[in-house]
Amino acid sequence: MFRLTALRKAALTLTLLVLAAAAITGDYFARDIVAEIATLTILVIALELAAGFGGMVSLAHGAIMGVGAYGYALAGLAGMSAWPASLAGIAAAAIFGGAVGAACARTEGIFFIMATLAFGQMAWAFTFRADALGGDNGLGGIDRPSLPFADSADPLVFALYALSVLVLVILMTVAILRSPFGRSLQAVHENPARAEAIGLPARRIRIAGFTLSSALAGMAGVLAAQHIQFVSPDLMIWTASGEALVVLILGGIGTLAGPVLGAAIFVALKHWAAGFTDHWHLLIGALLILVVLAGGRGLFGQLETRLRHDRD
Amino acid sequence: MASEAAGPRSGLTVAALVLERSSPPPGHSDHGAAMKALLAAAFTTCLSLPATAETTVGLLLPASGNYAALGQDIEDGFRMALAEAGRDDITVLREDTEAKPQTGLIRARKLIMQDKADVLVGVVSSAVLSAVRDVVHNAKTPLIVANAGNSDATGKDCSPYITRVSFSNDQLNRPMGEWLAAQGVSSVYTLAPDYAAGQQMIGAFSAAFEEGGGEIAGVEFTPFGKTEDFGPYLAKAQASGAEALYVFYGGADAISFVKQYDSFGLREQMPLYSVGFLTAPLYLRSQGEAAMGVIGALHYLPSLDTPENNAFTETYANAHDGNLPSEYVVAGYDAGRLLLGALDSGAEGRAEIAAALPKIAYTGPRGPLEIDPATNNVVQNVYIFETVSDGGRMTHRVLDTVRAVRDAPNGCEMG
Amino acid sequence: MTAFWVLQTLNALQYAALLFLISAGLSVSFGLMGFVNLAHGALYMLGAYIGISVSHMFGFWPALVLSPLATACIGAMLHLTLLRRVAKQGPMPQVLVSFGLVFIAVELVRILWGDIPLTLDPPALLSSGVALAGISYPAYRLFVIAMGAALATGLYLGITRTMLGAALRAATENPAAARSIGIRTERLFLGVFTLGAGLAGLGGVMAVPVVSASSSMAVTALIPALIVTVIGGMGSVTGAIAGALIVAVIEVFGAALWPDASAVLVYLVLAAVLILRPQGLLAGTRAA
Repeated sequence: MFRLTALRKAALTLTLLVLAAAAITGDYFARDIVAEIATLTILVIALELAAGFGGMVSLAHGAIMGVGAYGYALAGLAGMSAWPASLAGIAAAAIFGGAVGAACARTEGIFFIMATLAFGQMAWAFTFRADALGGDNGLGGIDRPSLPFADSADPLVFALYALSVLVLVILMTVAILRSPFGRSLQAVHENPARAEAIGLPARRIRIAGFTLSSALAGMAGVLAAQHIQFVSPDLMIWTASGEALVVLILGGIGTLAGPVLGAAIFVALKHWAAGFTDHWHLLIGALLILVVLAGGRGLFGQLETRLRHDRD
Repeated sequence: MASEAAGPRSGLTVAALVLERSSPPPGHSDHGAAMKALLAAAFTTCLSLPATAETTVGLLLPASGNYAALGQDIEDGFRMALAEAGRDDITVLREDTEAKPQTGLIRARKLIMQDKADVLVGVVSSAVLSAVRDVVHNAKTPLIVANAGNSDATGKDCSPYITRVSFSNDQLNRPMGEWLAAQGVSSVYTLAPDYAAGQQMIGAFSAAFEEGGGEIAGVEFTPFGKTEDFGPYLAKAQASGAEALYVFYGGADAISFVKQYDSFGLREQMPLYSVGFLTAPLYLRSQGEAAMGVIGALHYLPSLDTPENNAFTETYANAHDGNLPSEYVVAGYDAGRLLLGALDSGAEGRAEIAAALPKIAYTGPRGPLEIDPATNNVVQNVYIFETVSDGGRMTHRVLDTVRAVRDAPNGCEMG
Repeated sequence: MTAFWVLQTLNALQYAALLFLISAGLSVSFGLMGFVNLAHGALYMLGAYIGISVSHMFGFWPALVLSPLATACIGAMLHLTLLRRVAKQGPMPQVLVSFGLVFIAVELVRILWGDIPLTLDPPALLSSGVALAGISYPAYRLFVIAMGAALATGLYLGITRTMLGAALRAATENPAAARSIGIRTERLFLGVFTLGAGLAGLGGVMAVPVVSASSSMAVTALIPALIVTVIGGMGSVTGAIAGALIVAVIEVFGAALWPDASAVLVYLVLAAVLILRPQGLLAGTRAA
């Protein structure tokens, strides 16, 4: 069962504070990166809910996030104002993700991964060829939400707004995991036979968990659309899901602090390395392998184990 | 109004610059040496020239992903132009778009907002161009497009801040459709990847070809990024009974397609016509004899026999192991020439550069070149060529030159 | 019209042969070690590029032998240094390490061979067309079909008729029991992984005269190979053969008959298979 230990709480708070400080003291690009980190983190937390706590490793989450982003963009272009459009985007992602979850619920392990891959790629192929959605050229002219007392066009304001959404998502995820439903989801993941034996409807719980996770991925999509103010099918291709999965495992699965730490390090490393080499993937690849050689628990998982041993 | 950017210059300086460039990426590392060079340059400049304002150029090109080779060529060409002019008051910053719209947009905003770039140069992918269009337009920052061919960017989505020096999809395909119909080819089967640029290219060709009395016997769009074996499609084309094949493919697809077309022995049955990218210089070496006889249309060929092009190819070949420049090198080079022309005319800062760019005209490696003030798209010759073997080396023989091809405004209204 | 169908059938067989070579190692190493090696596509890519370089030095036929040997060595080294350890850590570290390897392999290829796609001419012996049912079909593609068929038959016989094959089947079915009757599973795993890496490399070098080599092929080749593995059922050579044939027929005839859906057709079939038979189409027939 998930516990928000003092260490996890501290790591979450510290990372968020560092991000906020980077946004406040940093230049334009630093603020942009903070918003990018917040968006990726939300997607990874969504995946964490499905994969880390529900045992459903998904390669459709990029596509689900894309549905959220397109939902927001289309609702906005149809004349809806930003806040209802955000809800529309989240709802679209939840409905699409819920359908994918329901269709895949009977499969497990690698078969679940492949089934989600199939649905994700279908969504990508459809968007890529849909003239009404701008095809591979994407859609522009997307508005940011209007905020009280602040201008969301200002990079600092938007970075802080993105961080606030991230905090909201973290609080929601903690609430979900602590709720009876969250406990059932984890029980179904940890011991499906026993969960069935005590009368938990495993399949329904998995579908509901995947739908909730999809709604969170939809929030990441809405935030991405507001940040970039442009959506394209690139959001939905399976490698985007793969990247989120890598960040999740890199940070440490099943800890909630892992995704935040993993996303911050991944994005910062990417931009830093891209500044001096075109072959920055080489560095990222080496880092991934190092993390596995160090024990495969992910960056935060590693930290947690080390500290626990120290205390013993 | 014609303004020549710079006079003749020694190939040596260009070679030196390009060689220097080939080690670490510029503008990022090796600060010590760069600093020294800058100080030395600043010292000589102070002695010889009156002080001018620095211009900051942001290169927006893919350095990783499928289009990295194109990005490298464009950058090489751009730096060639700067080296020729011997200017040292231009700072070049470089950002990797990864050919992804989201990344391209983030990097474009960084160049505009943080680095205060006076002008952006680059953009290989049409999707990245659609993504950055509004940002560039709203920030009133001039962008010189050095590849992306999306016709809308100088059509219904045109902007006084977007000047294209490469080509538009319409510009290359329309003349080819007219020319092919005039040759008496009665029916063609078309093939292209299934994405916006593919559809635009085939659309422009088909409209012109049908207008000229030709018939489109079949249209097929192949799934993009997934189709490697064109065998099934070639078999369909063969069964359609069309007289000829007209295709658009680039990159790895261009090489695979030409080799597979050749291996199926279709050359005798169905001659292959294409937008010239299919057998462009970048891929011709890999394609070899398989590309023999392919006819295409392109805005630049390294084999053009003009004094401007001969000097250009020689300089480039000296710095690149004897290789010939691609159309991407030339687009980068002309982007540089255009910018230098604007600066030489006295333009300073974003607004002045944007206003000056469409007024530049000169004869460069690809022939006479000017910018159409109605759309800000380049007006240039389109060369219809056949891919031939010249003593074992594959090259392009010009069959016909369609002069000064100008796109219709297509809904462009300059604000 | 018969010519058209003959052509498309041959195209499907040719594609199936390449798919089989990429998928066989992936499928068997999954069945044996429970390890989904997402870096398998990178071995295919390395096979293609090493094949091109060797071919430029010594010609096509030596490349056809040396390139798979090279990827087999790379596979063996990876297994001994890295993957063996990771296989025991569960699926998540496997994903991480295989993505890491893909990233590194792609960048190494870009550094060593550049960004411009490369290709290879078929050997002179196979460079012409063969007249078949009134049409001309490239001899090289027939060679690919023949190689695929020969290797598939060879592997099938090796697994069903030899002691080593019996040991392999036993280890796939029940590793603990296999160990208790004296089968050295560790060595068996190494052998299977090396063979799979060699087959992927062979697929790569055989593919380049048909399609060109680029650094994106590590990722683009992976998806169809995974689909073959899942549809065919994991861990068996027959599964890989059947999966490769099914996917190739869907792709080729889908492109010919229903081009509008060809981008998603194989995913539709994959999703349908998984929804209707969550354990894969041929699950339960996994012995061979």
